[in-house]
This record gives sequence, structure tokens and C-alpha cells, in this order.
Amino acid sequence: MRLSPLSISVFLGCLIACISTCALVWFLFDSSWPYWRSFGLSQIFSSQWYPYESLYGLLPAIVGSIWAMFIAMGFAVPCALAAAIVSSEMLPCSWQNGLRLSMEILAGIPSVVYGLIGLWVLLPWLQNTFHLLTGHSLLAAGLILSLMILPTIMLMAQDALRLVPREQREAAKHLGLDWNQRLYRILLPQAWPGIRSGILLALGRVLGETMAVMLVVGSLDRLPQPIYNILAPAQTLTSRIGREMGEAAFGSMHFSALMACGLLLAVTAIFLSLFTQRNTPQT
Amino acid sequence: MKIFLICLALPAFLLPAACLLYILWQAWPALSLELITGTVDAIEGQGLSFGSQQALWHQISGSLLMMLLACSLATPIALSIALFHALWASKRQKKMVLSLLQVLQSIPPIVYGLCGLVLLVHLLQWGISLAAGAVILSVIILPLLSSNIIHALERVPFEQSQAALSLGLSHMEMIVRVWLPSAWSGILTGILLAMARALSETAPILFTATVFSGIAWPESLFSPVTSLQTHIFYLAQEGSNAQATQTAWASAAVLLSLVLCLSLTAWFLRRYEESL
Repeated sequence: MRLSPLSISVFLGCLIACISTCALVWFLFDSSWPYWRSFGLSQIFSSQWYPYESLYGLLPAIVGSIWAMFIAMGFAVPCALAAAIVSSEMLPCSWQNGLRLSMEILAGIPSVVYGLIGLWVLLPWLQNTFHLLTGHSLLAAGLILSLMILPTIMLMAQDALRLVPREQREAAKHLGLDWNQRLYRILLPQAWPGIRSGILLALGRVLGETMAVMLVVGSLDRLPQPIYNILAPAQTLTSRIGREMGEAAFGSMHFSALMACGLLLAVTAIFLSLFTQRNTPQT
Repeated sequence: MKIFLICLALPAFLLPAACLLYILWQAWPALSLELITGTVDAIEGQGLSFGSQQALWHQISGSLLMMLLACSLATPIALSIALFHALWASKRQKKMVLSLLQVLQSIPPIVYGLCGLVLLVHLLQWGISLAAGAVILSVIILPLLSSNIIHALERVPFEQSQAALSLGLSHMEMIVRVWLPSAWSGILTGILLAMARALSETAPILFTATVFSGIAWPESLFSPVTSLQTHIFYLAQEGSNAQATQTAWASAAVLLSLVLCLSLTAWFLRRYEESL
């Protein structure tokens, strides 16, 4: 590589990117270190989070995050898959493009606007249907999240279904398989790797979503009682960070504990992304 | 079976339109030119409605300013990553760059916000400031932007760059004469999408860059701003106040239309590129 203005500036740009990435990781570790040092990993399984009494158990938020993830996936995956199948197998081509456009619009709505919809549409509805006190609940968070990840899964699944070779569809037709058999035996198995990576991508998004969840989840640092009670207010890792970051003093243990929540989120997201990459088909 | 599938798929077809229409319907009464340009007196509404009657102009300009700063910080760096990927990287390095970008993209934005809070706001003593928000947003959009530019450059036919190099053009000339003319629309699409992303990101700037109200125009890079995204959030917290509710819906509609402008332009650019 010869030294030219171009190569020097490219080198500088890459250097800045590398430095900022390293700084990111370093500061995440460094500022959550006091927390890990004085409490250790056992705090992950402690269920009490009272910052004013120096109790920093992460379990309620982790359980909340996992519940929100399952609820969101439970609603979004069947719906998005069905929509992808209907649009790529039943609808004419011109409709498909319109549908893609509307899905991209849905994907482009900022999360805080979803939060508004959740807060002023979903919560009153839940309140009336289940006779709750306020409607703030894990179920509301899950429903809003499922709305947010619907386009991600649907677009990836649609792409995967489109990539199934024409010959295979025609061969299946000539063998006399009916529509259901073709769907279950040819299309879905062929498209599954693509659909799976869409689902994993959406999982990462659910895990890291903050604003919408923060507005509807209720921010109560307690384990749901009993553990499957999804109609009670709860807390997720992201909503805890968002709620308490403003009031935690820099350098205090509270701050460090919140950084530990952030570290936990980042590590999970990184593992999820590496797992997705390993399982994504190379096209 | 088909009927069952269609029933399952119905929400996915109806919800986008329903969401958009609902937001518009709620925002309609409050949307007016006055709300945006601000002849409504800000001092008048004190107490509960404090800030909820302020004109949106400051919030809009704060958001746009932060977005533009973030993009102008991120674009050169993303370009240089993409050029490194296209010109000098070996096959292994290419794979590594792409996978690293994907990993960075998967990290939740709020984590970037936390790191920015520690490093920029506290350790570098920038305080809650426009600069901190812009830097954090630029780091958040960097992976998206660079992978978009990389893909745009990859779509330039290999033969063309080979021909250009064998004609004796330098790298710089090749980039300007061969790559830019055929990849500009892809690059522009990437930048527009990154802008839309920067505009809709809320959580990371909530405690690093913005305040609720009282700031008309940031005096310097190191003073706090007001932004549309966080304004919606603060208004949503006010709960029972009808005025605040209405303003929140109106700001949501304004924000949505800004984001949609960017992403729809990107969509049409992509269609235009595919039709070539």
C-alpha cells in the first residue's frame, strides 16, 4: 500500500472507529467493575433491588426482560409468518410491493411514538378488559414490542420465501402435492434458515428496546407474584436503566449497578448476534 | 388452512395503516402552524402545563441539528471503513469487518448512551450537551451507515474497477470517476436511512443531551438542547393533562412525518436504482 492522501485518510477513519469501539467496551467494563467486585455474580440471582438500602439484585429485571421477550415473540412470530406466507404465495406481485412499503413504514415509526400508542391506547384497553388498576404490565410491554418487531420478522421471512427456487415449487406441483403439503414440506423447510435469522434479529431488538417498554411496563422492581403473572407491573433491564440513570450519582454504587445492567445487555446482544451470524446461510 | 393463515395475517396487514391513521387523527386538532412556529406564549402556561404549550420549533430544530451533526461526524468514518473494505482488505479481513459491524449494530442503543454518559458527559466534562448527543448518535448510526455504503460499493461491477485500474487510473480517480457515478444512489440511500435512525433514536440522548424546555437555541456545542423525541417522552409523563396529551400527539405526528420523509425518499431511491 503506497502512502497517499487517500490511504492516510482511510487509515485515520478506521483508526477512529477502532478506538471508539475499544473505548466503548473498556468504559462499560471499567465503570461496572465496582459493582461486580463488591457483590459478585451472585447478585444476578438476588431478587431485591432497593438502591437506597444498597440492595442491587438483578433478577426482577432479568425475569421481566425474558417475559417481555417471550410474549412479544409469541404474538409476533405466528402473525408475521402468516403475513409473509400470504403475501408471497397468495397475493399478486403488485400488492407485495405495497405491503413491503407499509411494513417499512411500520418499521420506521420511532419507538417513542409506539410508546405513546401503548400508553394511551393499549393501557386503557388492558385496564378495562382485565380490570386492572392501571394497565401497566408485562403484557402491555410484550404487545407493543410485538408490534415493533412484526416488520422485521415479516420482511426477512418474505425474502426467505422468495428465494426458494422456482424449479422446486414446480416439481412439487407436478408431483401432485396440494397447497398445504407444498407449504409444509417444501417452502417452510427451505426458507427456515432465513426465517430463523429474522427471528433472532428481532430477539435482539426486543432485548434492547427502551422507550416504548419504559412507558408501559410500570417500573416496579419486584418479581411477578406468582412468577407467571404477566398482568402485574414489572421492570426490564432497559427500562430500569432509562428510569434511574438520571437520578444515580456518577461514581456511586447505584450508577455502577446500572452500568452492570448495561454490560449484561451488551454481552447478551453480542452473543445473540454471533450466534445469528454462525447460523445465517451465506447467499 | 388458507383461511386460517389469512386470519392470522390480518393484523399485520391492517396495523400499519391503523397506527398511522390513529396518530394523525389524534394529532389533527392540535396541528397548526402556530404550534410549530410558536406564537403561543410559553410563559403563560406555568405549573402543570409548563412546557406543554411551548412552540415545537425549538424541539424540531434541536433534533435536526443533532441529526445533521451526527451524520456529518459518522459519514467520513463510514466512508473510510467502506473504502478500506473495498480497496485493501483481504478476504478474511472483509469477513471480519462485516461481522464486527453486525455485532456493533446489535448492541442496544441505550448501552451506547451509557458509555457516552460516562466518557463524554462525566470524564471529559462536556456536561449534558449537544456535542455529547451528536457523538453518541454518530456512533450508533456508524455500523448501519458503513454496512450500507459497503453494500452500495459492492454493487459496482468488478470488471469496471478492473478496467479502470488497468487503464492506469489511481485509486482516487477510480473512486471519483467510476464508483461515485454508479454507486451514488446507494450511498445516498444509506445516508438517508442513517438520518432516519438518528432522528428516531430517543433513549441514548435522554440523559446525555436534552432538557425538557427553556432552551430556544443552543448557545454552543456544549450546552443542552431540546429535541422532539425526548419532548414526546416528557409530555407522555405528564399523564392527565389534556393539553400535554394533544401536544404530544402533534409532536409525534411531526416527528413521524420527518422520519417518513427520509425513509420514503430512501425507498424511492432504491426503487430507482433497481429500475436502472
